Amino acid sequence: MLAHQPVILNIIFACYLAALPCYLLHFFRHKRGWRVLAVSAMLTGFALQSALLAARWLEAGYLPVTNLFSTQYFFSWALVLTYLYFDVRYRVGSSGLFVVVINLLLLGSVLQRDPEIPILIPSLDTPLFTIHIICSFTGYAMFAMAFTLGVIYLINRYIPNKRLPDPVVLRKLNEEAIFLGFILFSICMIAGCIWAYIAWGFYFSWEIKSLWSFIVWLFYAGMCHAKFIRRWQGTGYAWLSLLGFGVVLFTYLGIGLLLESSHPLE
Amino acid sequence: MNRLTVSQRLWRLCCSLKLAIVLASAATLFAIGGSLTIHFHPRIYGNLDTTPLAQWLLAASRDHAGEIWWLWVTGVLFLLFGLNTLCCFVDWLIHINLRWRKLGEYLIHLGFVLFVGAFFWGSLAGTRTDGVRLFVGALTPVPGNPGTYLRLDHFEPVMSDNGRPLDMINQLTLLRGESVLAETVAKINHPLIYKDLVVTVMSFGQSAKGFQVLIPNLGMVELVPGQHLRLPGGGRLEVLEFLPDAVRHRNQWTARSERLVDPVFRLRLTRPGLEPWEGWYPLREEIPFPLIQAGVRIWPKQPLFANYSLVRANRDPGAGVALAGGICLLIGSLIALGSFYRKRSRGDRPEIV
Repeated sequence: MLAHQPVILNIIFACYLAALPCYLLHFFRHKRGWRVLAVSAMLTGFALQSALLAARWLEAGYLPVTNLFSTQYFFSWALVLTYLYFDVRYRVGSSGLFVVVINLLLLGSVLQRDPEIPILIPSLDTPLFTIHIICSFTGYAMFAMAFTLGVIYLINRYIPNKRLPDPVVLRKLNEEAIFLGFILFSICMIAGCIWAYIAWGFYFSWEIKSLWSFIVWLFYAGMCHAKFIRRWQGTGYAWLSLLGFGVVLFTYLGIGLLLESSHPLE
Repeated sequence: MNRLTVSQRLWRLCCSLKLAIVLASAATLFAIGGSLTIHFHPRIYGNLDTTPLAQWLLAASRDHAGEIWWLWVTGVLFLLFGLNTLCCFVDWLIHINLRWRKLGEYLIHLGFVLFVGAFFWGSLAGTRTDGVRLFVGALTPVPGNPGTYLRLDHFEPVMSDNGRPLDMINQLTLLRGESVLAETVAKINHPLIYKDLVVTVMSFGQSAKGFQVLIPNLGMVELVPGQHLRLPGGGRLEVLEFLPDAVRHRNQWTARSERLVDPVFRLRLTRPGLEPWEGWYPLREEIPFPLIQAGVRIWPKQPLFANYSLVRANRDPGAGVALAGGICLLIGSLIALGSFYRKRSRGDRPEIV
């Protein structure tokens, strides 16, 4: 399977790309067939992506998420997993399409990169790394989903459209995405702190990536509380979801690519 | 309607969700701004991870008060936020019979309080030391832990086929006096931990420890500190010190660097019936006259090197509390996850302020 990685990557990309117009057609025409096609394309792409991820994991002997190609690939996988969870469970359909678009951008940008699995550096050779990475990216994916739901909520608020889901449903889904993301990110932080302690001798570092990860955690902890305040419900919460995802993007891409940190992406 | 007493109103404020959001938001904003100054002022913040925070703040405030003020403000905000969270947790405990279903959420609160408390405790009472050199067989005092020593029993660097260092195997023993406190094979991600002390491996290197020399009548000998040579005629030559790179200052030699550039020995010569002589022998200069008088000739042949392991020895009295906080956070998160879906399925809605 690994010998045909570039071909398989293109097929996965094609599946997700095909799902996009199907979802849009379902949004505008409301015919069940388009939705079935869209979900089928997403599921096929996800099955292939999962199989390739498993093959790479088996080949490497560790979860291969150590360079830009592999982190984007894994983030893309986590995004699709999140989208499918919300779509299969709540039928968010086109409301979550922005996640599909982010996923296409992520996957599309790595198609030309070398998929070779890098050698594992000794400091990453610990189960804490696997827990840290899985929870970190699935947490990020949940925050991306919350961002999408926030955008749809705001569109519905300022340009009401009967085709879009009910704002109460969107609010509930947004709260769920934030809550799940926060829980996953908390586990990621705990694993990261224990790992830092055994590797560096301290559990909190003032290094910029660690500091911003704590800021992300604190921001979403605040959001988990903000939903109990009437003024922050609905529109305020949607805006916070957008702002939060900006913080997430800076923490993941901004710091990894623009600044020097202990979590380089190249 | 019952009017609240001052103490009740104060307690409500301390437990207030709105106060929590204000404090957390302010702390977040200061941390965001400050983190960027950390990145752009490495000369000021470069040693922030290698020094306990309280010690660092006091030292840095003397020279860079204008740049680091945000750290004081953020610290105070976090302390207040931690106290607010603690009050919130205590309030929940007081009303646990009504609010027990929020166990997961409040375990997360407790975890955060323990974590913040542990961090402040460690920042105030902890010690951090980078770059402790351990030589095989030698006892090295543990900085910040009077009376305790580290002994490196065995050291083995693990290299890849192309010579890239992969790991460092350190057979370490922690001692207090003669008694062994802890023994472990320390390597990357496997530190030596004893109570609040954690010793992590950092790197390894080589340093010149002396010279192999040719001395007529004695042959090839190793001149290293601690070495005693018996000379013909009953004299004795003792190596007191070796400096791989030294500089002369008023007839005294002081160490300049660790590289092998201008090596110098400090020797002591004792001969029967004569006053002992103690002095310096720079290898690039002529042999000192008292040695010539004693008939000692020395021809340096090659330097001798010793491998050393470089470790970090940190003491953090709050580490155990932080771990307890992490466990509370983890258990709380899992319970909160379960109860979230349970509440959703029962149609429960949160209390709105």
